[in-house]
Amino acid sequence: MTLRADHVAGAAFIVFGLLVLALSGDLPTGQLSMPGSGFLPKIIATMTIVFGAALVLRARESVPYSDLDWGDGKHAALVTVITAAAIYLYTWLGFIITMVLLMMALLLVVERRNPVRAGIYSAAVVLFTYVCFAWLLKTPLPEYGY
Amino acid sequence: MEDTLISLMHGFGIAFQLDNLWYAFLGCLVGTLVGVLPGIGPLSGISILLPVTFGLSATQAVIMLAGIYYGSQYGGSTTSILMRIPGEASSVMTCIDGNAMAKKGRAGAALCIAAVGSWVAGTFGVIMLTMVAPPLATIALKFGPPEYTALLILGLIFLAYMSSTSLVRTLLMACIGLLLGMVGIDNMTGHFRYSFDFAELGDGIGIVPVAVGLFGLGEILSTPSHKVVGEVITPKFRELLPNRLEWLQSIMPIARGSVLGFIIGIIPGSAHIISSFLSYALEKKVSKHPEEFGHGAVAGVAGPESANNSASTGAFVPMLALGIPTGPITAVLMGALMVHGVNPGPQLVTEHPDVFWGFVASMYVGNLMLLALNLPLVGLFVTVLRIPYAYLYPLIIMFCIVGVYEVSHSVVDVWIMLIMGLLGYGLRKFAFDPAPLVLGLVIAPLFEQSLRQSLIMSNGDYLIFFSRPISLGLLIVCGILLALSTLTFILKRKDWREKLAEAEAGEIEL
Repeated sequence: MTLRADHVAGAAFIVFGLLVLALSGDLPTGQLSMPGSGFLPKIIATMTIVFGAALVLRARESVPYSDLDWGDGKHAALVTVITAAAIYLYTWLGFIITMVLLMMALLLVVERRNPVRAGIYSAAVVLFTYVCFAWLLKTPLPEYGY
Repeated sequence: MEDTLISLMHGFGIAFQLDNLWYAFLGCLVGTLVGVLPGIGPLSGISILLPVTFGLSATQAVIMLAGIYYGSQYGGSTTSILMRIPGEASSVMTCIDGNAMAKKGRAGAALCIAAVGSWVAGTFGVIMLTMVAPPLATIALKFGPPEYTALLILGLIFLAYMSSTSLVRTLLMACIGLLLGMVGIDNMTGHFRYSFDFAELGDGIGIVPVAVGLFGLGEILSTPSHKVVGEVITPKFRELLPNRLEWLQSIMPIARGSVLGFIIGIIPGSAHIISSFLSYALEKKVSKHPEEFGHGAVAGVAGPESANNSASTGAFVPMLALGIPTGPITAVLMGALMVHGVNPGPQLVTEHPDVFWGFVASMYVGNLMLLALNLPLVGLFVTVLRIPYAYLYPLIIMFCIVGVYEVSHSVVDVWIMLIMGLLGYGLRKFAFDPAPLVLGLVIAPLFEQSLRQSLIMSNGDYLIFFSRPISLGLLIVCGILLALSTLTFILKRKDWREKLAEAEAGEIEL
C-alpha cells in the first residue's frame, strides 16, 4: 500500500485529538443541564479524531507522500531558525540591534546577497521603521537591556 | 428610511473629520499596497497593523483596518493584470483575462475597468449595507443563545460547503480553531484549560499571533525568493482609458458582479473569494462570445473584480448587525473592535451609532479615494512591484515580530506566531486551507457560551434548538448543505466546487 499524504495528515489529527482528550482528563464534563469546562473540548476533540479517520479512509484520493515537494524545506528551516533567534534576542538586545541582525542574517545566509548592500538596506529600513513607530505612531519599541 | 438617511448624514459628519479622513486614506493606501504585493494578503496586512491602531479611537481603528480590507481588493487587480500573479486570493480570476488584455497593449484599459468596476460595486455594497444592516440588527435582537448557536454552526457548515477543498478538510481546520479558541480560562467556571502553567495563556490564544503566523509567516516559509518571478508590464498613462466598446462590454458584468458579490458576502461563513470565481463562470455562461474568455475578454475582468469588492462590503453586514464574522478577515476586524471596548452585534447601531455610521460613511469616501489612488498612482505601484521579493520578506518578518509583540508586550505571543507559521507551512504542504482555523478560533468563545447557555436554559434538553423557529430554520439549511455534500460524495461526481478548484489550478477551463 502506498503511503499517501492524507494517511500522514489524518494520523496526525487523530493523534492530536487523542492528546487533547488525554489533557482534558481533569476537566469536568458536567451534565447536559450544566455543561462543564470539559464538555465542548471533548466533543470537538472526538470530532477531530472522527474527521482524521475519515481523511485516512479517503486517502486514496490524495497524492503519494513521496510526491510532496519539500524543495522549499531548507529555506523554511533557515528562516525559522533565524526568526527564532531574533525572537529570543528581541527583549534583550532591543529592536534596532535585533532587527538589523535579523535582516542581515536573512539577506546574507538565506538569500546570499551582497553584504554591503544588505547592511545598508537593513540599517536604513530598521531605522526608518523605528522612527515611524517611536515618533510618528508613539508606539515605543524595546530598547537594549529592556 | 428617513431615520437611516439622517443617521447616514451624521455618519458623514464623522467620516469627514480630518483625522478620520486621514486614517481612511492611510488604510486605503496600505490596503492597495498590500493587495499589490504578492505574498501579503489583507489578512496578514490587517493583523500586522492591528497593534498600531491601539492608540486610536474605535472609529478610527475600524475605518483604517476596513480601508486595508477593501483597498486590497483594488490593489490585487494591479498585480494580476500587470504580472499575471494574483496580488491576493480573490484576484486569481482577473489574472486570466486581465493579463491577456495587457499583452494586447490594453493594460491601462484593464486597470481602469477593474478600478471603476470595483468602485461601482463597492459603492453598491455600501448602499446595500446601509439599507440592510440596521433592520437586520433589529431582527437579531430576537436572537437568543439557541439562535446564535445554530447560526454559528451554519456559518461553519456553509464555509465548509463553499470551500474548494473537501468538507472534511475544512471541518478539521474549524475543529482545530475551536480547540485553540478554548485555551485559557473558562469564562463560566473559571477552570484553566490547556495553559500548561503559562500565565500568558490564561487569557487564551490571541487572534493576531495566529493570523500573522498562519498567513504572514506561513506564506513566507513556503515561498523561497526564486519562486517569485514575473515580468511587469508597464502601462502608459495616456492609454489608461478604455474605448467606447470596452466601456459598453463592462456595464452588465459590473452590474451582475455587484449583486452576486454582495449576496455571497453577506452569508456568514461564505468564503467571499468564491464570488470572483462564480462571477467569471456566470459571465462566460451568459456571454455571446464565450470563446473570448481566456484571451482578453473585458467581462472576464469587470465581473470578477466587481464581485470581490461587493462581497468584501457585504461581509460587513453580519459582522456589524449580528456580531458574526463571515471569515477570518472580519473576525480580525471584530477583534479590533472588541479591543477598543466595542462589541459588534445588534446593539452596535444603538449603543455606538458614531462607530457604526462613521464607519459606513467612511466606506463611501474610501471607495472614492481608492478610485483616485489606483489609476494615477499605477506607476508607483509598478515601481513597488519591481522590489525583489528577497528584500521584501525580511521586512515583512520584522513587521510580524514587532506587530505581534506590541499587542500585549508578550514574547509568548511571538513564539505562538512562529509555531503557527510552521503549522501554516505544514498545512499548505498537505493542501489544507488555514482560513477556517482562524474562523473557528474567533467564534469559539461565542459558540461555547451560546451552546452551554442554551443547554442550561432548556435544562439539558437539546431539542431546544429544534423547537425555536429561527434556530430550526438555520439547522434545516445546515442539513440541506450536508446532504448535498454527502450526495456528491456518494455519487463520486465532481460538483461545481471541485470544478472551480481545478479551474483555479489551471487544470480545466470553466
